[in-house]
Amino acid sequence: MEQLTSGLVVEHVTKTFFNSGGYFTAVEDVSFSLNDGEFLVILGPGRCGKTVLLNMIAGIEEKTGGSIRYNGQEKTGAHPDFGMVFQSLALMPFKTVMENVELPLKLRGVPKGERRETARHYIELVGLTGFEKSYPHELSGGMKQRVGIARAYAANPKVLIMDEPFGQLDAQTRYSMQNEILRIWEAERRTVIFVTNNIEEAVYLGDRIILLSDCPATVKETYPIGLPRPRDMVSREFLGIRTRISDNTDLAI
Amino acid sequence: MFYTIGQRKKWQRILYLILPVLSVALVILAYALVQMRLPALLPDAGELWDRFLRTFTNPIKEAGLPGHIWASLRRVLIALLFAWTLGISFGVLIGWNRTCKALFGSIFELFRPIPPIAWIPIIIMWFGIGEFPKVLIVFIGSFIPVVINTEAGIRMVEKEYIDVGRVFGAKRSQLLREFVVPTALPSIFAGVRTSVSCAWTVVLAAEMLGADHGVGALVTRGWNAGDMALVFVSIICIGIIGAILAFVLNKLEKVVCPWNN
Amino acid sequence: MSINQKDLEQGLSAYKKSRKKNLLRMVLLSAAGIAVFLLVWQLVVQFKLVNVRNLPAPTKVMETLIYKISNRNPDGNTLGTNIVASLQVALSGFFLALVIGIPLGLFMGWFTPVDKFVRPVFELLRPVPPIAWIPVVVVFVGIDLKAKATIIFLSVFVPCVINSYTGIKLTKRTLINVAKTFGAGNFETFVKVGIPSAMPMVFTGVRTALGGAWSTLVAAEMLAAKAGLGYMLQVGRNVARADIVVAGMVAISVLGALMALALGILEKRVLKWKLER
Repeated sequence: MEQLTSGLVVEHVTKTFFNSGGYFTAVEDVSFSLNDGEFLVILGPGRCGKTVLLNMIAGIEEKTGGSIRYNGQEKTGAHPDFGMVFQSLALMPFKTVMENVELPLKLRGVPKGERRETARHYIELVGLTGFEKSYPHELSGGMKQRVGIARAYAANPKVLIMDEPFGQLDAQTRYSMQNEILRIWEAERRTVIFVTNNIEEAVYLGDRIILLSDCPATVKETYPIGLPRPRDMVSREFLGIRTRISDNTDLAI
Repeated sequence: MFYTIGQRKKWQRILYLILPVLSVALVILAYALVQMRLPALLPDAGELWDRFLRTFTNPIKEAGLPGHIWASLRRVLIALLFAWTLGISFGVLIGWNRTCKALFGSIFELFRPIPPIAWIPIIIMWFGIGEFPKVLIVFIGSFIPVVINTEAGIRMVEKEYIDVGRVFGAKRSQLLREFVVPTALPSIFAGVRTSVSCAWTVVLAAEMLGADHGVGALVTRGWNAGDMALVFVSIICIGIIGAILAFVLNKLEKVVCPWNN
Repeated sequence: MSINQKDLEQGLSAYKKSRKKNLLRMVLLSAAGIAVFLLVWQLVVQFKLVNVRNLPAPTKVMETLIYKISNRNPDGNTLGTNIVASLQVALSGFFLALVIGIPLGLFMGWFTPVDKFVRPVFELLRPVPPIAWIPVVVVFVGIDLKAKATIIFLSVFVPCVINSYTGIKLTKRTLINVAKTFGAGNFETFVKVGIPSAMPMVFTGVRTALGGAWSTLVAAEMLAAKAGLGYMLQVGRNVARADIVVAGMVAISVLGALMALALGILEKRVLKWKLER
């Protein structure tokens, strides 16, 4: 490891679910470490393991094997250095945009004036100024996703975990959100773990791609992506990487 | 083609205007026909109006119609205030804490199937027919739906919301306050709405079974005295107040849960 | 460090064990809750801890229940006769209201002219609690089975209509379009798409109605009857026999719970497709 690590090391992590009918292994023996300031993409086919893996890293799911260490210490439960953007948005329907974004700060007991200011900064960063008083159901899918991103940033995390944040968006919005997230990432320079099942999205965004297999999820291959940004989705290099990954991907049925 | 559709639309509009008028007219006609056959049992419109006016000039038990309405509403309001505070707290408790659910939920399940009206005789035996026993009966009737809906609402909170809280480091009390209770609010409000209509029914029953004041007492009084006009005036009052209560709750829901459309 | 089969089996048995333990703990706690409640009640009566006249001990209530199985005192009917009388009234009014109310609600929700015609009358009746009609019904019909069944009918009718109406209104537009694309007429779509998709809501209405019916029945029997559980309560109160009253309450709630249970089982059967989603 010649690069500076961000302090997060995942080693041999395994998750098996039990129920009265038997057991089911979702994640098996996954190891990687995260570099500081990196945009790491975890790419995997449809159904399996990715969210579970993220939830274990975020500390809201117990692992059944292996270790997740942060700054040399075993990480159990949530940690203030980690923020998360959820797949299903998970915005509070009963809170306005402002209240949603300032929620992490409120939970930490930050006084109202201060957290309003921080929240306003991030609402501006994601381009939602003017919608502070709207409720989530009044916003479009892309706008809701921006709220989710602003909320995660407002928590001021060192590592930002994003779980298929654009999965429910239409293609057009998805492209613009991808550029948006790169813009924010470059402006704020946090380390990002980004999960997706879309190969193009992975190659477009990532400094490095970890390809997972289908159930149970194991690390199949790691691809460093050296292409300069902004990336051209129809350049030969881009398509070459895309084909290589695609040939190596398990089909999700 | 366009013309025919337009014409059909027009006929439809006229039909939809006529039908409601027709149905109400039919009901009035049917009432009038029965009334003419049985004038002793059904009052006509004039009698109803006279009786309505007389409730103001000739007070019953020293109270005019507004006095009786207020007597009923006061019981309902006091009982509801207690039912809401205690019912929501209890519902949150058994919805949030499994041990409490097992311990107290089981006792609650014993009482739940008892219709509130069935409490009336024993409560009259215990506490007489004063103000407190009536409020108590209404309280029992409105407490139960509040608890049931609150508990269900708390239980149905999606895991995802709780995950958000945990990722951002919420303590357990914060999870409850910031995530769980607000998410359950529409369901809690449904319980509140049910509790109001239950309370209105139960207060009537309690008053019909033994009271001097209240609209339910007026019904019984009219019934016992063979004064059917008074019975109908009371029923109409009861219906109007029931409708007003439902209307107020609809408005209130928009204020309490503005995100829930 | 790949996972091996033995670990998994071990994990599974540990999981099952902890689940069983949890379940057992819940059952024990529930039982403890009820036991403590009954014990406190018994002790309060035995040692006259609170100053409440007319509070029979649980044991006394049990005795009375058993006594009432074969004895007519004080209300002139055995417990069995009272139960049969109540059930007869409740069920006849209940089923009649289902048979009329559910189709009416469905038709109102699907066919606008029906809605326009019935709605105003329905909205006039809706806000009046059914028990307020008791005097009117008694004056016209008397205090026999028919009268009380009419009152039950009124209490069941309203929720049945409302829920069937809402249920069928919520039928997904896409489903209707699919049916029509396949050439189904409006009535056929109503029968094959509208009604099945309204069923869950209809059942919700029936469940609400059942509770309401049972409650209204008690009121009706307390106000005007010569038999039935509500009548038993009323007589118990008049002769100051708290044990009779509480025994009657126990019988009422047990029967109510049993009927709700039966309805729940029926609902599971009928709505199988919904549960297997």
